[in-house]
Amino acid sequence: MIVFGGAFAVLVLLAALLFISIYNGLVHKRNAVENAWAQVDVQLKRRHDLVPNLVEVVRGYAGHERQTLTAVTAARAQALGAHTPAEMASAENALTGALKTLFAVTESYPDLKASQNFAELQEELATTENRIAYSRQYYNDAVLTYSNAIQTVPANIVAGMSGFTAREYFQAPGEERGPVQVRF
Amino acid sequence: MTVWFAASAGAAALWALLLLVLAIATRTPDITPGRPGAPVTDEPPAVVDLITGGWRLCDEAASATLLDLAARGAVRIEEVGPELSLVRLHHAEGLNPYEQLVYDHVHSLARDGVVATGALAEGSRHLGRWWKSFRKKVIADARQRGLSQARWSRAHATLLFASALVPAALVAVAVTVADPEHDGGIGAGIVAYGALVYLAGRLNGERGTDLGVQAAGHWLGVRETLSNARYAEKPAASVTIWGRPLAYAAALGLAPRAVRSLPVSVPADDRRAWSDYGGMWHAVDVRYPSRLIWGRPPLHTVGRGLAAGFFAGFWTWLVLVILSAFDLWPRGLTEPGGLAVGFAIASVPAVRALLDVTGQTWIEGQIVRLRRSQSGSNDNHVNDVYWCAIDEGSSRELKAYSMAEDQWARLSEGDLVRARAGRRVGWIGEIEVLRSTTHRGHYADTQDHLIDAPRNLGEVRPEWGR
Repeated sequence: MIVFGGAFAVLVLLAALLFISIYNGLVHKRNAVENAWAQVDVQLKRRHDLVPNLVEVVRGYAGHERQTLTAVTAARAQALGAHTPAEMASAENALTGALKTLFAVTESYPDLKASQNFAELQEELATTENRIAYSRQYYNDAVLTYSNAIQTVPANIVAGMSGFTAREYFQAPGEERGPVQVRF
Repeated sequence: MTVWFAASAGAAALWALLLLVLAIATRTPDITPGRPGAPVTDEPPAVVDLITGGWRLCDEAASATLLDLAARGAVRIEEVGPELSLVRLHHAEGLNPYEQLVYDHVHSLARDGVVATGALAEGSRHLGRWWKSFRKKVIADARQRGLSQARWSRAHATLLFASALVPAALVAVAVTVADPEHDGGIGAGIVAYGALVYLAGRLNGERGTDLGVQAAGHWLGVRETLSNARYAEKPAASVTIWGRPLAYAAALGLAPRAVRSLPVSVPADDRRAWSDYGGMWHAVDVRYPSRLIWGRPPLHTVGRGLAAGFFAGFWTWLVLVILSAFDLWPRGLTEPGGLAVGFAIASVPAVRALLDVTGQTWIEGQIVRLRRSQSGSNDNHVNDVYWCAIDEGSSRELKAYSMAEDQWARLSEGDLVRARAGRRVGWIGEIEVLRSTTHRGHYADTQDHLIDAPRNLGEVRPEWGR
């Protein structure tokens, strides 16, 4: 009886240690996802801050391109109002599309193209796009690692017991996950 | 005969004494650290690394140079996450030769002007040759600044090489006298002379000038100041905030974290590769599985499986026969038991090989690792295994495939390939290069700046254009 009790206690202890180890691993991976998301957020905010400056500069040279400018402003507002990663990815894609149209329009304005302010903003925005692309890849990689961890045995048991839920990829619905390169 | 050998030994001892005297006379004087304070001279970090490291360039020099380029705006270092930072090319003007070498390396790897810091160890350059070229350029700069000089001056070298002729000649005479056929003397003399010259050459190197010693003392004082600023845990991206002092701290060995994250002059990791397949740099983990049922042609795998099944079945049958003798196993089931075990063991590789033969798939991706490893030897012949890891863009964990040597030899890391591969036995039967690597290592890593190379350090022959 004593032997049985001792063996049971050892098993319980081993199970507890295993639980703690897996739990800590999951916490580590979840924190990595949150950290990666913070990086995405920083880059998106940076982009959102640049857009009004860009619109103002373009308005100074091409004020009658009202429709294009309004579309960019509306896309930015939509992006600011998005909350979940999927919503944000959709809104950011729309903003990217609007910016592409804007840059296409600016080709018809040589004075605007020659403006140093515009050139700097364009370069800054292109750099930010690149950073967003890397942040997005980094975030999606972190989510993949985390998802694999919470869905595989035995970590899925610990995850289920301690409230580790799946995280969304930063991608629009129907969009294929993977690197997205945007060039202006 | 003994007299001649004694004379040659005596002459060699005298020559060694001369070498010792010259070595002591040409030592760099002891450096006294200056007063702690800010830098007042503008030597680049790589030169600082040289003069504060006993006139030997340390591994940190290349990373410190990159940090210096970032501090001066030639590149930017941006942090995307704890394990991912980017080097972004910016405006590079007025770089000296070794800074240009580092910049060119970054440029050769950059995709859309960006490379991940971890990927700086990638590329198809010859690392040893690259480092030698970098070192020569740094030494040339240090000499130009009057901080460094060759240990042996022309006069020293002439004296050493000329005086080495005496013991070498005596050795030649001694061997000629001792040899009954009198024909081994010249060869022995040449060998002896070569050995002495080699010894003198080994002791050659750089030493500090008076100005260099003074500068080194100053920089050791700066080191004292920088050591209080806690640069050890600062990431490379913090160069945006700290500027050139971080680059100097790296050169002085005070910023190990920043240096580690910029692996410019270290070999690429076998198991952690960086790939830019798909347009963006990302890390992938590479595994080289055990070759029990992986990494052999399908027929070999079947053959090995049958052999393993035979032996396992035989030993099982033997054990069952013994057990049945003690009535621990039914007598009628000894043969079936052995057959079942043998069949089970043989069937695993056989089925996998069969599935691969009938359903081999074409994979397309970028080669991220090409490695060769030994798998034992027989009849004085070493058996090599040729590994090839291909990033298909679908996973961050890759299993390296094996392939034939002749196919492997034609490939380079970074090549975009299409391969017919068995995913169950890990063997590539056929491979074609869709696009050779275009952005890795194709720059003049040595050729451009030979003019600056100190003569005594030897010529570096570029291989990249072969």
